[in-house]
Amino acid sequence: MSATKFLETRKPAWDELESLLKAAGRKGSAGLTDEQLYRVTRLYPAVAVDVARARMLEIDPLTQAHINRLAIAAHGMLYRRRHSRPAKAVWRFLGHDYPRLFRRLWAYVLLATAIFLIGALGAYAAVRGDPDTARLFVPRGLDVQDSGQVTAEDISERYRRAPKTLMAGMITTNNIQVSFFAFALGALAGVGTCWVLLTNGMMLGGFVGHFANHELTYEVCSFLIPHGALEIFAILVAAAAGLRMGLSLAVPGSQTRLASLRAGAREAVLLVLGTIPMFLVAGCIESFVTPSYLSGGTKISIGLLVLATAMAYLCGSGRSAWPSAAPEGHAATGAAST
Amino acid sequence: MQDFDFIETPENVELQRRLAGIGTRFIAGLLDNLIIFTSLLVVALIGILAGAWGLTKYPELGGVVIGLLMVVFFLVYWGYFVFFEMVTNGQSPGKKSQRIRVVKDGGGAITFVDIAIRNLLRAVDFIGFYAVAGLCMFLTRKSQRLGDLAAGTLVVSEAVSDYSAKSGKRRKAVGRWEDEATAGVLRATQLMPEEYRALLSYWRRRGELTVAARHRLLDRLVRPILRRTGQLDDAETLQSLEYKLELLMQRAFEAKASELASPEGPLE
Repeated sequence: MSATKFLETRKPAWDELESLLKAAGRKGSAGLTDEQLYRVTRLYPAVAVDVARARMLEIDPLTQAHINRLAIAAHGMLYRRRHSRPAKAVWRFLGHDYPRLFRRLWAYVLLATAIFLIGALGAYAAVRGDPDTARLFVPRGLDVQDSGQVTAEDISERYRRAPKTLMAGMITTNNIQVSFFAFALGALAGVGTCWVLLTNGMMLGGFVGHFANHELTYEVCSFLIPHGALEIFAILVAAAAGLRMGLSLAVPGSQTRLASLRAGAREAVLLVLGTIPMFLVAGCIESFVTPSYLSGGTKISIGLLVLATAMAYLCGSGRSAWPSAAPEGHAATGAAST
Repeated sequence: MQDFDFIETPENVELQRRLAGIGTRFIAGLLDNLIIFTSLLVVALIGILAGAWGLTKYPELGGVVIGLLMVVFFLVYWGYFVFFEMVTNGQSPGKKSQRIRVVKDGGGAITFVDIAIRNLLRAVDFIGFYAVAGLCMFLTRKSQRLGDLAAGTLVVSEAVSDYSAKSGKRRKAVGRWEDEATAGVLRATQLMPEEYRALLSYWRRRGELTVAARHRLLDRLVRPILRRTGQLDDAETLQSLEYKLELLMQRAFEAKASELASPEGPLE
């Protein structure tokens, strides 16, 4: 076929596909009627072949680019996963996929906990051995030496004075941010995540050691455990996500390094996103339960109970198949069958 | 680094996409960060004013406002890219201004998970004001930053480029074997050397011209030449003119090819 004839006979098909793609607009295949979508599925393969033919016939580059663009746009519209409703997807994720993911990756959580404990116990031992080292780990305002006899009650008092909504917003967003960093820094082959784990562990260990030096262990526990139990656990899970991604890059196994990183990042990002609800709960406890006038024992039990609930959810739910687990299909086949 | 990405479709056709350059992406990123920074500044100002006002009048309410603003701060900072890339299928406002788009490596549209990965890892790419990203893009074939590598995405350009300049360069590189109006060509086509060159240049550029320009040139350039060589019927339409021209050019190329193929070399 001559180039001129090719251009003339095929032009109507290109124009039709272009107008259909324009009609679909941003919504993709959802923006078309069944009939229009059917036309796209008929036109696209022919236009894809036109790309090859145009290249063979060496027709002008601008037209080649135009057909190529049309084919890419149609390809992008047809070969894409079916979209589920965001609310439905979130519900399924939390009710089914996330606990399963957690159970698959629990070893990484254990690894993160071990690294965290190294930092925490190291700092605790250091502060117990030499009380002066507490300066390295404890925020200035909470220093016992500086301000005479600060008790855990006084720390709670500090909390009580601040507006609760302010505290909840600040604490929750800050914690989620820490978990995001613990995850993202895992991309540096896991080194960044280890750094986050060690520093946070040291901070906690030093803090507890400092109060233990002043025989306030029970008070500091009744201050930390209500919110901290869940919060620290969630940070460990987020760090586990960072380690998952980092190790997939550092130790790719039989895959290529890039393929391994991609698979690792895919699992890891879901693991870290699932910690958000935990931080929301922990943030609420931290701003409403921790500064309350409940007895230390009650507060500690609330904290442990919340952690136990979270563990039960992560270990128990999602064991059976999700009821409406529709197989993943292409938008085109999905829409064509409706 | 390369200029194009190729997708192999199920139809066994290779489609091309032009990759966005580091410079374009840097400008897009700069614009996006400027938008984020400005909106955070506005939020902070509102927060300070509302907080100051609230704290003097209703102490509890001031805290609520500041708490809410902290949340807004967080959402803007971490959610800006995720939101826009999700809603516009891969175009944050900065990217839109530069006509570039995030797409899936290997074709297809990006999913929420892809967007979440590439934008959470932005925190690492951002180290040294995108020094990590720049280094990574410099080292990878498809100019991907760390977040792109992990998510399996790339950024492509959707700008319509100036192909005429580009293809001009390419033609020179390929070597214009049919350029010279040799004796064989002139004999086969019965053209003057200047006529041959004029027709050839029209023939090559015809697809880049607008239809109106094409018709004008067919009428004023091609018609007189063909009339001189006596290959013209009276009732010639523009389309049949172009077809005639195609046949003529084919004859010329064949003559040229046989000249080049013959062992004696061009017949001069």
